[in-house]
Amino acid sequence: MKTPWIIAAAVTAGLAAPALAQEKVKLVNVVELSGAGATAGTNWKNGIDLAVADINAKGGILGRQIEIVHYDTQTNPGNTRAAVQRAIDEGTYAVLGPVFSGPIGASMQIAQRAEIAQIVGGEAAGLTKQGNQYLFRTSLSQAAAMPKIAKYLKDTVKAGSVAVVWVNNDFGKGGRDAIIPELEKVGIKVAADVSTEQGQADFAADAIKIRNANADAVFVYLNEEESARFLRAAKQQGITKPMVGETTLLGAKVIELAGDAANGVRGHVGLSIDAPIPAFQEFGKKFQAKYNQPSDHNGLKGYMAVHMIKWATEKQKKFDKKGVADTLRGATIKPSDEPGILIETTIEANGDLDRESFLAEVQNGKQVITATLPKIKP
Amino acid sequence: MTVQATRPAAGSGLASSPRLARLPLGGTIDGTFLTLLAGAVILWFAPVGMGRYGTYVLSLWLVMSIAVMGLNLTLGYAGLKSLAQAAFMGLGAYTTAILTTKYGVSWYAAFGLSGLLTFAVGIVLGFPALRVKAHYLAFVTLAFSTLVWLALRNEQWLTGGVFGISNINRPDFFGIKLFGALEFHRFVVVVTLILAVALWWLIRSPWGRAFTALRENPIRAASLGIDTRAYTLLAFAIGSAYAGFAGALYAPLVEFIDPSPFSLSQSFFLLLMVVAGGSGYLLGPFVGALLGVVLPEWLRFAGSLYLIIFAAIVMLLLIACPQGVSGLMERAWAKLTGKRGDGR
Repeated sequence: MKTPWIIAAAVTAGLAAPALAQEKVKLVNVVELSGAGATAGTNWKNGIDLAVADINAKGGILGRQIEIVHYDTQTNPGNTRAAVQRAIDEGTYAVLGPVFSGPIGASMQIAQRAEIAQIVGGEAAGLTKQGNQYLFRTSLSQAAAMPKIAKYLKDTVKAGSVAVVWVNNDFGKGGRDAIIPELEKVGIKVAADVSTEQGQADFAADAIKIRNANADAVFVYLNEEESARFLRAAKQQGITKPMVGETTLLGAKVIELAGDAANGVRGHVGLSIDAPIPAFQEFGKKFQAKYNQPSDHNGLKGYMAVHMIKWATEKQKKFDKKGVADTLRGATIKPSDEPGILIETTIEANGDLDRESFLAEVQNGKQVITATLPKIKP
Repeated sequence: MTVQATRPAAGSGLASSPRLARLPLGGTIDGTFLTLLAGAVILWFAPVGMGRYGTYVLSLWLVMSIAVMGLNLTLGYAGLKSLAQAAFMGLGAYTTAILTTKYGVSWYAAFGLSGLLTFAVGIVLGFPALRVKAHYLAFVTLAFSTLVWLALRNEQWLTGGVFGISNINRPDFFGIKLFGALEFHRFVVVVTLILAVALWWLIRSPWGRAFTALRENPIRAASLGIDTRAYTLLAFAIGSAYAGFAGALYAPLVEFIDPSPFSLSQSFFLLLMVVAGGSGYLLGPFVGALLGVVLPEWLRFAGSLYLIIFAAIVMLLLIACPQGVSGLMERAWAKLTGKRGDGR
């Protein structure tokens, strides 16, 4: 009686083998493709698509091709939650996105409950302070970047007083709340603390306020479009003091929109396609060729997010959802092991990242890297 | 689906008012009531096998329906154009979230207080409604909406500001934990049914007639001895309280709130749901919220085009039937049966 079973098993195994070879691994990206976060979200999505194309061209992850699905969140927390839930119900291997911190806050408990890694683009400091073991960043948090800015303002710019202008959303408010104590710590006086609106068109009044504060330097922490508008308004009001920013202010989109007004802007950059790292520059060229526009830091973040999942899967040598998070936590990913990570990246136990970053300046409409800063915990 | 006897806000003037006289007396069981009951039974069992995503979308649909029901009362029955429904929903959501997370108040008490607070604020905001009409009222409510949004965003000590409030707990029901998607969905079904039946009763009561009279012809209503001032205030306050109730359910459903879902654009979206569903129809809000919440989710298969398709569908719908889907159904029913009016 055993023979039929053996035959059945052999047939099943025979059928299953090719099926396994063709099996795909599904990744769902939940991101802001419409609404206030669309600029950042589209860059992130393009970075992911580029990574998936690269990985699939080289044979996929452990022999499986990646199937990528993108769900728009409309930059709305309720919709984000629905989309992340859908991703998990559909059996996603890990959740990619979102980029804006509010929607991340609304959806991170779901991935946590399902014990699935969620790799996000958010920079707000609070996200990794809630003890969520399944949330991972792709960029430095504001808590890590701001001390570098404060040190730069003190040592390089030699500013005794700084005017801070920020956008009143979770990104800007988070940055403002992180930089002010850091400035006070290094003994820099905050001469003005100016709040602006998301989507604000006219920055003349804010520029005048900043000019009248007469600080030694201005720290600008706004989203892309707003940064460009502010730089133009500041130029019109004749502000000649150094404009210092963090990543966004020196981004490709801001330089394109602000034109001449962006020249002379300087600051700290977490990720940049102009950094003196060949892998970054090569990514920048590939991105430009495919989408006909330069990538900002969000494109790089999306590209790295997929490679973080690839690295963790190959490290554990199996497709184990929970294992991805366990493997990533506390790991250091080196480009020699996984070229797609582009730069050596250490993932801390709470999901924060540590890696090298850069000081840059805009000269003649181009971002020029002036120095490379070491990791916080080398 | 059954449609109502009352006529939509748009369309002819008093020509069809006599139809009001054919309404059943308050409390009599009718097709609408049976539809509500049947709908509740279907929705109780619907999510089985749907997964948590489907269940969540159904719950979100019902919660938005409650807010739209309130706006339908204000706009569809009493004819007051309000652009503050999302702001009232925000007041309810934040009241519930703050009371349950920071002060450990039970959800049921917070739910009641959210309703009371929005009712009271509705009365206060309703006072300008006595002085201004139509567009001017819309502007007053628009200003209020912006004010609430600014308060939610800037008063960080209370509302968490732009970072919002996270880890909002879901309530218990006599010892049964409602943390699961299905359990909470069933809870939302019951609450929605209670609120819908209450509104059904209200519309059929003399109050409901007074609201409609107010919309049709305020001068005639006044001359018939209706206290227009009191009824305007009431319509506005009850409509606002429904938004408060919806907010009180929204907070534990999403388990996170920040000011963005309660902004002015969301008030416009709720207004769209009332109009698209059929303003002045009791079941209209459910249809409208289905269009506003569930349709975009269904359209996700269309990839990056889904919002464009959604907008096109809504525009075509409003061109084809300005009375909304419920109006379209009423017309279809009338054609089928050769009767005008209600589909009972």
